[in-house]
Amino acid sequence: MDPFKNRQWVVVLIIISVGIIFSFRLFYIQVINKDWSERASQITSKTENIQPPRGFIYDRNNQLLVGAETIYDIYIHPSIIKPKDSSAICKLFNLSSDDFQEIIKNASSGYNVPYKPSVFIESMTQQEHAKISPYLGQINAVFAKSKIDRGYPNPIAAHLLGYIRRIDEDQFKNTKEKGDFFYTKNDFIGITGLEKQYEFLLRGERGNINYLKDYAGNKIETVHKKPPKPGMSLYTTLDIELQKLGEKLMANKIGSIVAIEPSSGEVLAMVSAPSYNPSSLTGRDFSDNFKVLKKNDSLKPLINRPVYNDKYRPGSIFKLVQALIALDDGVISPETGFSCNKNIIGCHNHERPNNLTKAIKHSCNPYFFQVYKRLIMKDNSKNVFQTSREGLKIWEQKIKSFGFGNSLGIDLPEEKSGFIPDVDFYDKWYGKKRWAFSTIYSNSIGEGEIGVSPIQMANLASIIANRGYYYTPHVIKKIANENILKKFKIKHSTCVDKKHFEVVVKAMNEVVNQGTGRNARIDSIEVCGKTGTVENKTFNDHSVFISFAPMDNPQIAIAVYVEYGTWGSKWAAPIASLMMESFIKGSLSEKSIEKANQISQAVILNPNTDLK
Amino acid sequence: MKYRNLSIWRNIDKPLLIMYLLLSVIGYFIMYSSTFKGLHIQSDFWSANYGKQLIWIIITLFAGFFILLLDGSFIKNTAYFTYGFILLLLILVLLMPPIKGARSWFYFSGFSIQPSEFIKLTLSLSIAKLLSDVGSRFQEFRTKLKAFFMIIIPALLIAVQPDPGTMLVFACFIFVLYREGLSGNFLLIGLFTVLIAVVGIFLKASNSVFYLAGSAISGNIFFGLILILGFIFSFLIIRYFVLPRYRKQKIQRLIIITLLGLSISGGINYVYDSVFSERHRTRFQIMFGIKEDRKGAGYNIYQALSAVGSGEGFGKGYLKGTLSNDKYKHVPEQNTDFIFCVLAEEWGFLGSFIFISLYLSTLIRMILIAERQRSKFTRIYGYCVSAILFFHFMINIAMVIGLAPVIGIPLPFFSKGGSAILSFGLMVFILLRLDSERKVVLR
Repeated sequence: MDPFKNRQWVVVLIIISVGIIFSFRLFYIQVINKDWSERASQITSKTENIQPPRGFIYDRNNQLLVGAETIYDIYIHPSIIKPKDSSAICKLFNLSSDDFQEIIKNASSGYNVPYKPSVFIESMTQQEHAKISPYLGQINAVFAKSKIDRGYPNPIAAHLLGYIRRIDEDQFKNTKEKGDFFYTKNDFIGITGLEKQYEFLLRGERGNINYLKDYAGNKIETVHKKPPKPGMSLYTTLDIELQKLGEKLMANKIGSIVAIEPSSGEVLAMVSAPSYNPSSLTGRDFSDNFKVLKKNDSLKPLINRPVYNDKYRPGSIFKLVQALIALDDGVISPETGFSCNKNIIGCHNHERPNNLTKAIKHSCNPYFFQVYKRLIMKDNSKNVFQTSREGLKIWEQKIKSFGFGNSLGIDLPEEKSGFIPDVDFYDKWYGKKRWAFSTIYSNSIGEGEIGVSPIQMANLASIIANRGYYYTPHVIKKIANENILKKFKIKHSTCVDKKHFEVVVKAMNEVVNQGTGRNARIDSIEVCGKTGTVENKTFNDHSVFISFAPMDNPQIAIAVYVEYGTWGSKWAAPIASLMMESFIKGSLSEKSIEKANQISQAVILNPNTDLK
Repeated sequence: MKYRNLSIWRNIDKPLLIMYLLLSVIGYFIMYSSTFKGLHIQSDFWSANYGKQLIWIIITLFAGFFILLLDGSFIKNTAYFTYGFILLLLILVLLMPPIKGARSWFYFSGFSIQPSEFIKLTLSLSIAKLLSDVGSRFQEFRTKLKAFFMIIIPALLIAVQPDPGTMLVFACFIFVLYREGLSGNFLLIGLFTVLIAVVGIFLKASNSVFYLAGSAISGNIFFGLILILGFIFSFLIIRYFVLPRYRKQKIQRLIIITLLGLSISGGINYVYDSVFSERHRTRFQIMFGIKEDRKGAGYNIYQALSAVGSGEGFGKGYLKGTLSNDKYKHVPEQNTDFIFCVLAEEWGFLGSFIFISLYLSTLIRMILIAERQRSKFTRIYGYCVSAILFFHFMINIAMVIGLAPVIGIPLPFFSKGGSAILSFGLMVFILLRLDSERKVVLR
């Protein structure tokens, strides 16, 4: 007999015990301990957000103002670089070998790992990409991925459109506190203009995708997908051609143009000069360009003057409002005459203002001094201080019904209210009972403490064109397929009766035909306008002009403000005239084109502050 | 008596045949899943990995059929010749250019041959022949020496390639020799060595620090182990009292064991510090859970464990794995050394348990077959086959489920690789053939 026969059981026992140990171990890692299973889903499954495309912005004729631009991120995949590739990469991207080593180092350290591709050139433009794309195919380790950025096929209206920027820490916190959980730290958010005003509509709704990935992170199989909802498109009230012309005319100048369609309150053009190319605040060069624009502090190219700058004194255009209120109050009639007494307040030589029309036509300062005096000091039996208080109170309320002193409510986030001095203001300034008409008379001709923004000036032109009412100026006509908000369809009436407007309209027509605004005449169109020359102590006076046309069926109301433009008639009037001609006739005459080019080339800046 | 060969179909061991075929079929399907890239990807079946594997399986079945027609004595008589032939190939293969850093393959256009897979078969036959030859007795020192050299020469040649996984398998012959009368002490020494090695490496890898008499002794295994051995020593001193006539023998053994333990632990200390590279040290530290290096040295094992763990109780279903197949490739070497991941992921604990049961049943069946032989040659050969497959199974699965450091070794009948499929298949068919003659011949 074999003495070792029983040893077979030792061997069998060893085999069985290994089986038992393995089974227990497997039971532990597969059934009891869920860590490995969880880790498995971490390494296989990935959820990614899908960015919704931001809504586009169009002009009133459905021409694209803000669209999408394809840009490219260039990726490098260090672990598959072949020796011959490195020299090709250096040559293609114009890199020194040190630069290249640095890139490889960056792509292999920190968040990046060599076996996964990472970005080494961000946001390459289409032109740049076109130059290198034929060679990219030959290098496996380098490739381009496209993404979408804001694109501006018509690079105009930068201020009105506004810009977007990556959300900063404070904004991120703010949105979270407000219960808005849309944003991630990589998202862009509207900072100014329409981009900010309609951020919630433009941004759309985020989608997401859950997929299984392979060892290198490639998407293999989609498990769940929620498509993003694109942002809504905005249809603005702007007219691209008019806006372009306005920006051309305002080149090399500081100031604003606002054009409104009086019958609806739609803003046809809104120019803020100096301006910038809106596409410079996109993509990779954002921060460089932004710094340059921000640093240019004397010209302040980033502010939207038409709505933001409410410190402008309106000058002589304010005489129109004074006249209307005085007529309505009955303190003057159209036939009221005053002498042009230059001792009270300065004026230029003109025919005797023996009626209101002539006074407006020649913009007579002493005349409106008297008008304002009658408005403020109604009851001469009373103490001057007391009657001035009462008069100013009434006057202030009436002025405000023309949209001054308060925000109009335009759909732009930057709008400021302007300022109409009231009793409280002067009480604080001078002390109670220590001021009277004689202290505040410069308000009569739109100087003094009054502050008005260009949009309010244009709105005044619109009110007169409408003979007594206005719609809140707005820049959005349609959102996706829905028409504009109801609040833009409310008719705001002034406190002045309609019948008083005709006199003023006629007078404005005379201003253009025979008076101070002859530079604004347009062949075969009856234009109404009013010049303004706003005193400026540092340099030339500012040039202001408000206007509308045609007189009897106004299609456009406009306000032009050219800082340092010397007289209202010198720069503002011809600019307004060209804008109106272009809009009403659809094009400019040859003479006008020449004029437009001349104006465009004229440089009007303050040598003391602007040309450093 | 030759005509009785025809009765092979009646005498063949059907349970083993069925088990073998079952393992081959399951193995093939798992291997198919491991190289699966998705149904929509159309590629030429026969040039893909699973196509080549099928060709090898068909070749193996034909070869097996041919072997069943051979006479058992022919197999026995040619054992030394085939052993010598493969040994020659093992020498020649060292002249081949290395693939993945090892000179293990003869590469022909399209397919490759790995002689180290075949040496296991021929070595088994040669050992069986050596120990069963009339006139050779295992108790003689000469026979032991011959057997030792017969095993150690190919093992060393494989170590040179280098292929440590396959080399490790040669240790399995200790079971065969144990069954044939090698002192059980060798088995115990083996176990003892493994135990001390594990404790020793653990202490080294974890940089343990011991406090003795108030002073800190740097995390050296020496003291820890000497303390253990001292304990055993004093324990055996007490045993002194039992029977005086055994004392001398006991003391001798104690001294031998103590010296062995000391030299093993000292050896490990030296090997760990001087022979191992940082990569090996990291592998051990990861295995003991001392260090995490999920992107580097620990990548394979963490990915493998994730795949195994994600199978949970009942698995994700065939071809529905999301980690270990070729579509996702989260597990490296998923169709060779880590192929068990595919099974564990897609069939869960249930499938894994059935797999382990079937596999080990097959091995036990081989032992039982070996034990029923009148022929010593067949018995020894049966033990050899069972032990070789057992070692492959044990090392491979232990590695995948994190019980052993990562060592490259295929899982027989499952892993991709023609040489292994053919070699393991031939082993089983030869056993079937020899067993079918159990009633006929007495060798």
